[in-house]
Amino acid sequence: MKTESLRPIDGLHLAEGYRGLLRPDESEAGTNSTVHRLPRFFYEIESWEEAHEIRLAPHFTLAELMLVDCREARLLLSQFPHYVPCAVLLLARFLEDFRREVDAPVFVSANGGYRSPAHQIGGAKSIHAWGTAANIYRVGDTFLSDSRSIQKYRTIAASLGPAVFVRPFGHEKGQTGDHLHVDLGYVRLTPRECSEAS
Amino acid sequence: MLSVDVSNGLQEELESLALKSRARAIGVALHDLETGLRFSLRGDRWFHAASTIKVAVLLAVFRAADEGRYRLDDSLHLRNRFFSVADGSHFRLSQDRDATPELYKAIGRTAKISALTHAMICGSSNLATNLLLDFVGVEYARAVLRQAEVDGVELRRGVEDHGAHERGINNEATPDGLLSLLSVIRGDFLTPESKREVIRILLAQRFNSMIPAGLPPHATVAHKTGEISTASHDIGIVYLPEREPYIVAILTEFDPDRNGRRETVAAISEAIYRSLLRAEPKSNED
Repeated sequence: MKTESLRPIDGLHLAEGYRGLLRPDESEAGTNSTVHRLPRFFYEIESWEEAHEIRLAPHFTLAELMLVDCREARLLLSQFPHYVPCAVLLLARFLEDFRREVDAPVFVSANGGYRSPAHQIGGAKSIHAWGTAANIYRVGDTFLSDSRSIQKYRTIAASLGPAVFVRPFGHEKGQTGDHLHVDLGYVRLTPRECSEAS
Repeated sequence: MLSVDVSNGLQEELESLALKSRARAIGVALHDLETGLRFSLRGDRWFHAASTIKVAVLLAVFRAADEGRYRLDDSLHLRNRFFSVADGSHFRLSQDRDATPELYKAIGRTAKISALTHAMICGSSNLATNLLLDFVGVEYARAVLRQAEVDGVELRRGVEDHGAHERGINNEATPDGLLSLLSVIRGDFLTPESKREVIRILLAQRFNSMIPAGLPPHATVAHKTGEISTASHDIGIVYLPEREPYIVAILTEFDPDRNGRRETVAAISEAIYRSLLRAEPKSNED
């Protein structure tokens, strides 16, 4: 596992262009009158090669959890460094546990790992902006696109801990019909070497 | 005078082909850039556009790229999940009805927008079409058609939206409208780079049993076919090395069980080609 090269940075110290898009430590109103603080600490990734080399867990590279399409903000899409919330480590750990339970490769979709608050899908209201959510579209050879497969893996994912939230199958708001959405809540991770003093 | 004579002869021949093939309707629009001839047979009749509508989507995708909304080498998430324009209900495309199975194998991952445009036109991929239209938006694509002053092409939805079909919400086009669309592509509506790329994509068409089948082997055609149970269409720009190109839209409507539909379009294509050869002045005539 090559994680020693991960470089945590304080998002509040980023250049203005990045701060405007990543909005570190800003509050975001959610549903039901909830308010959550966006991630403050990020890992800085210099290249796709590096993202592919960094194994956050035995079967998950960082690259798999940060792949987005062109609905991401241009600055965050097309030039490096990229920034990923530090809590992505916890997501990878959960995915590894899930993989062990299902005993098959687990595939996270594009736009299905970390998306910045500037991403056109969900924006800052999406828990994907915390780096703690994954959209799993395939387990082994099974594409999760029907009630049966989603329900089966939903049960397994939910059994892995009380902090795990899994959306039910369906096509209404809050449901999923072509993937399994799992998340760990609005977790923010502060690396040991980082200070939260502003 | 020359064009009138040609038009009369061509009209007779096409009407005869329509009768012989027992088509419900045949509509043709033609613009010959060599002689300036314009010909239209039921050019303002509306047909179900079938997959010819993908050319309108192609125009919108390249227009948006020209406007800097994205780059053609940007990537899009491949997802087989769409919403009906009729009621917002969810639907999914059938891989069995798509000529691009490789795209379905990549679901969950990403594909470049340029690759999707190729799949949409060259392989007539419904998945690529709906992904691209979903991305640029139906309203945007319609606005592009208006800006380009293309009348006679009504883009209302993606493909295989059965909920919309049941409510009569369909993509429709007239032969004149589709001719106008191809003319816009040849014109200066798109940047020169985009125009070249769009024509290159249309030239790479994999389904060649209609317009090209009625032409000599040295002809090349930038075209798009469209077929559903009751319609067989082909629209394209025909390039011949010895002359300027001509633009043609051939739309046909048949009973669902009728055979020989593609052959009819090919015969119409051949008739047009022959009539244009007759129309060309001989080298010693001026």
